[in-house]
Amino acid sequence: MTASPVVVVFTYGLVTALATGLGALPFFFVRGLSARAVAQANAVASGLMLGASFGLVAEGTGFGAWQTLVGGVVGVGFILVTARILRSHDIGFGHVRGIGARRMLLLMVVMTVHSFAEGVAVGVSFGGGMALALAIVVAIAVHNIPEGLAISAVLRPQGMSVAQCAWWSVVSSLPQPIMAVPAFLLVDAFRRILPYGIGFAAGAMVFMVFEELLPEAYGQEQRAGVAVTVTITLVAMLVFQQYL
Amino acid sequence: MDPILLVLLYSSVAAAVAAVGAAPFLWRAQLRSEWVGWSNAVAAGLMLGAAYALMVTGVPRIPPSGVIGVLIGLVFINRLHAAAGTSEIDLNRLEQTSPEYGYQVLLINTFHAGSEGVAIGAAMSVSLPFGVFMALAIAVHNIPEGMVLTAILRGRDVRLGAAAGLVVATNVSQVLMAIVVYALVMAAPGLLPWALGFAVGSLVYLVLAELLPQCYRQAGPTSIALVTIVAMGIVILLAGVGT
Repeated sequence: MTASPVVVVFTYGLVTALATGLGALPFFFVRGLSARAVAQANAVASGLMLGASFGLVAEGTGFGAWQTLVGGVVGVGFILVTARILRSHDIGFGHVRGIGARRMLLLMVVMTVHSFAEGVAVGVSFGGGMALALAIVVAIAVHNIPEGLAISAVLRPQGMSVAQCAWWSVVSSLPQPIMAVPAFLLVDAFRRILPYGIGFAAGAMVFMVFEELLPEAYGQEQRAGVAVTVTITLVAMLVFQQYL
Repeated sequence: MDPILLVLLYSSVAAAVAAVGAAPFLWRAQLRSEWVGWSNAVAAGLMLGAAYALMVTGVPRIPPSGVIGVLIGLVFINRLHAAAGTSEIDLNRLEQTSPEYGYQVLLINTFHAGSEGVAIGAAMSVSLPFGVFMALAIAVHNIPEGMVLTAILRGRDVRLGAAAGLVVATNVSQVLMAIVVYALVMAAPGLLPWALGFAVGSLVYLVLAELLPQCYRQAGPTSIALVTIVAMGIVILLAGVGT
C-alpha cells in the first residue's frame, strides 16, 4: 500500500498538531487557581515562549541571520498592530470578555501565526527525503506539547475547561499540516523564505511575552518567584529542543 | 599577550565603560522616570542577548552539566539576595534617600557585575573572539546600568566625579570574577559547561528579578517590550553573523 507523499506529509502534520492538545493535560491535576497560580502560569508561558524563540532564532540564523532579523521585525510589528486593533474593539472569547478575552485572542493569533513557520519547517525537512520522516514527526509532535502547555496556562485561568484548552491548542497548530504540504512540494522556494518565517514567529512570541505575559505575572507574584519560573522553563524548553 | 592579561584588559575596559553612564549628568540634573525604565530595559535586553549567545553560540548543545550549572547559578543568586535582604528591593527609586537603600543598591550592582564577570570569563574560555564579543556586550550593557546608578547617587547629592567612580567600583567584581573563572577553566577544562550554565542562570534570573519588573512601572509595557527586544535582537544578530 502506497499513499501519495502529499497525503503522508499532511497526515504527519496533523498528528503533530493533535499532539499540541496534550499540553492541556497537566491542568487536569491543577485545581483552584489562585491569583499567584495564575501569575505562575503566565510565567511558565513566558519562559516556554522565550525558550522556543531562542531555539527558532538559532535555527533561523543557520539559514540566514539578516533574513531572520527582517522576519523578526515584521513579526513584532504585526503583533503590535494586532494588539492595537484588538484593544479598540470589545472582544469576546468563549464566555470571557474584556482584557482577559483580548489577551487570550492575542495569544491565539501569536501561536497560530508561529505554527505557519513550523509547518514550513516540517515540509522543508520532509523535502530532504522520507527516510527520517518518522523521527521528524515524533520530534515536532513532542516539541508541540509545551506550546500547548503555554496556551493552556493562559486560557485555563480565564475559566476555560481542560477540553477547551486542548481544543484551542490543537487549533493553534492546524497551520502545520496546511503549510507542510506546499513547503514539501516546493522545497527550494520555501527553504528560501523559511528564515523570514522563523524570524516572524520568534518576533511575535517574544513581543507577546514582554508586552503582555510578564507584566501580568509581575502584577500578582513576587519578582523572585517569576524569575525562578521563567529561567527554569526557558532553559528547559531550549534544552528540550536541542535534544529532539 | 598572555591570554589571562587579555581577559584582564577586556573585563577592565567593560568595567570602565560603565562610567560613560554618568556622562548625561554633565548637562542634565536628573533623568525622567521613563528614561530610567528604558535604560534598564536596554540593560535587560543586552543581558538576555548575552545569555542567548552563551547558550546557543557558546556550545553546540547544552550538556547535562550545563543544565545543573544553570540551576546552581539561579539558586546561588536567589539565596545571595535572600541573605543580603535585597530580594524585593526596587532598584530605581530616585526619591528614596535612606542610607540603607544606598548601600543595598551598591551591593546589588556589585552582585550583578560578578555574574557578568563569570559570563566574560566563561566566554573567553570558549574562544578569544567569543570572549571579546561577550566583553563588548557587557560593556555596552554597563552604560545604561551605570546611568541608572548615577541617577540614584545624584539624587543623594553625591558629586558627579564620585558617582562615576562608584559606578566603576561596583564593576570591579566583574574583572575579578572574569579572571578567576578563566583561570579555573584553563586549569580544569571540564568546568567550562558548569561556568557557562552558571552565567546563564544568574544573568537570566537577574534580568527577570531585578531589571525588568520595575521598568514596567516607569514606562508602558509596549515601549519596554520594544526597547528590550531591540537591545536583545542586536546582540543575537551579532552573535549569529559572527559565527
